Amino acid sequence: MGGVDVARVPRSRSVAPRLGATLVDAVKEDTLTTLDHATLITACAGGDHQALRQLYDHEGARLLGVVQRIVGDRALAEDIIHDTFVRVWTRAHTFDATRGSGKTWLFSVARHLALNHIRDHQREISVDEQTAEALDAERASAPAEASDHFAWHGRGELDRCLAALDADRRNCLFHAYVDGFSHQEIATRMDRPLGTVKAWIKRSLQSLRECLS
Amino acid sequence: MNDRSPGNARPTASDDIDTLAGEYVLGTLSAAERYAVERRATREPALREAIDAWESRLQPYTELAPPLTPSPGLWSRIERSLQPVPKERRSLWQRAWHSLHLWRGVGLATAAASLALSVLLLATPESAAPRYLVVLTTPQHTQAGWVVKAASAHDIALVPLGTFELPQGKALEFWTKADDWSGPVSLGLVRPGQTLHLSPEDLPPLQPNQLFELTLENAGGSPLGRPTGPIQFIGRAITL
Repeated sequence: MGGVDVARVPRSRSVAPRLGATLVDAVKEDTLTTLDHATLITACAGGDHQALRQLYDHEGARLLGVVQRIVGDRALAEDIIHDTFVRVWTRAHTFDATRGSGKTWLFSVARHLALNHIRDHQREISVDEQTAEALDAERASAPAEASDHFAWHGRGELDRCLAALDADRRNCLFHAYVDGFSHQEIATRMDRPLGTVKAWIKRSLQSLRECLS
Repeated sequence: MNDRSPGNARPTASDDIDTLAGEYVLGTLSAAERYAVERRATREPALREAIDAWESRLQPYTELAPPLTPSPGLWSRIERSLQPVPKERRSLWQRAWHSLHLWRGVGLATAAASLALSVLLLATPESAAPRYLVVLTTPQHTQAGWVVKAASAHDIALVPLGTFELPQGKALEFWTKADDWSGPVSLGLVRPGQTLHLSPEDLPPLQPNQLFELTLENAGGSPLGRPTGPIQFIGRAITL
């Protein structure tokens, strides 16, 4: 596949100074590792189909993996990837490089379409209150679960702070972020009371924030 | 609690916003809560920023889901869905906005504007002095073609700076759009080389940076009430 026609990569006043020559060069070289999502998204805003195709070629499989994990259905996952790229195309002009990377924006679009879908369609198994209380009482005495469910190490700057959390709290965060589980689903999966799971997630987020600041 | 330091014993409003943003990005909120957060985020920069920060922090961990190769037909499905977008609604405005030529043109047009302004100030009687001025330039070139001067939304004059060869069966249509309008509004057809005076009844007050453009449409103007043809001249309003 050819590189983006750099002459067609728009450099509007609002974006150009932040992109810089090195990023444009990265796209010219068309190397996977240095692929610049922001430049391609900006080119999409300028009507460049080829830029969207490049984003699809480089990130389609990763995005499909992320979405499939959340919605759990292959045909639906592909529908959401379709909607993701259509949305990237029509909303590319709203991308703001000062707010985050192009890659983050792209993955956010896909994840939130997937999350909105499953929350709208009530994947959540409803448990009546009495049953929930009974389950909670049972789970309260369950033994501590100490092993990680996710191989989360070595991926991001958050690693250091995640390491400071207990394994079961990390598991809660990743069952939510990666699996798209609701509080109730996490409680069921972790065999913990719903209230405990809710409190853990809130406090884990606060701990991560403190650790970062 | 071993994961909560004493320093965080009294949660503040900003902590609440940050936690809400974190839960939104994690995905644990209900449908109703998600939509409420999305609505709030459009008018609460603090919430918006907190969401952005969590998105950036957590994004690397999307790798925990193994990639899956999409079906061979998925890209063509996507591409088919894109077709109507650039031709009609989107590209005209967005291409213009993101066009290198436009900004180059706007840069040069600034010089043209100073010139036009001094001419207009000399030529216009004080009582009718325009409060807004727009220099419309070609998107591809750096040529200024028209000047818009307006005292208000109900008193707009479009003044040609040169001639324009109108192709057979075509018309120039004049449009305007402020930043917060959902789409452009037609101000009618324009005759090349002739000054057009407009007093539209129902146009909202003009705004600084309001976009004005001339597009090439079929004779009679766009049938869809929005620009469908290529932009010939484009510019944004400056306040005098």
